[in-house]
Amino acid sequence: MTELPEEARSMIGVEKMNTYRVTKKDIRRYAQAIGDLNPLYSDEAYAAKTRYEKIIAPPLFCHSFAFDDVPAEELREDGLPVELDVPLPVSRAIGGGSVFEVGKPISPGDEIKVTKKIVDIYSKTGKSGLLYFIVIDTLYENQENEMVAREKATYIQR
Amino acid sequence: MVNWDNVKMDMPLPSITKQPSAMQLFMFSAVTWNRHLIHYSKDFAIHDGLQDVAVHRALLGSFLGQLLTSWLGDDGMIKRLEWSVRGSAFPGDKVACKGKVTAKEVRNENKEVDCEVWIEKEGKIIVPGTATVTVFQ
Repeated sequence: MTELPEEARSMIGVEKMNTYRVTKKDIRRYAQAIGDLNPLYSDEAYAAKTRYEKIIAPPLFCHSFAFDDVPAEELREDGLPVELDVPLPVSRAIGGGSVFEVGKPISPGDEIKVTKKIVDIYSKTGKSGLLYFIVIDTLYENQENEMVAREKATYIQR
Repeated sequence: MVNWDNVKMDMPLPSITKQPSAMQLFMFSAVTWNRHLIHYSKDFAIHDGLQDVAVHRALLGSFLGQLLTSWLGDDGMIKRLEWSVRGSAFPGDKVACKGKVTAKEVRNENKEVDCEVWIEKEGKIIVPGTATVTVFQ
């Protein structure tokens, strides 16, 4: 285990919050981006006849709110999301993983509160040298304070 | 129709194939407001040691999500999905999303099915994962 730079360590546990109102457009575009043309995600008449009785979002839709919408000027030159812009002696982002929990279905009109923090940063020596792991926990809740999703994502940098 | 009685241990899930294009990667970058160049600038991706722009971690997760939702239809929903990216996928790659049932149990009165899920590229697993889904009936 390599010593973590103090500036990186100080980012652990710092909570950031944001709120977004979900529109039909957001859901439709997200569904098109993942290549899922299920009418449940776009067709009101179809959705009305399902158990949900209205349009819902695909299960991993909250990924569309995962990254902070700061102006481009605040990003690193390579456009790395600010969440991952941790002062570490590495520059390349590779792979990673995720544990994604799905809660209440999301529909147009819902207001989603995003609460996000880095919960851990650690290093490991892998086959290709020193790797850093950044673990981000993000909770997504609707206007009724019900969990709609929660993700613990691990990003790897080297 | 997926229901509790016809879910069997070790049963394979109907697999799906995905072939992401550069346009799809761009659309996913746009809807997630992920401005990392590695996903839409081939020049940058090559400079970063890759052969082409890389499919996003989250988009690979969504492919596994679609494996599960296309199996479940309106008969169930995903409760939890875990995946890890061990290899890269690039535009034009044909990837197969597969899975099988590993457990079936009633937990807190919910009918839950655990699955092993994965994404294969050229016969090699590049994204292993696990999932738990709830079956309604």
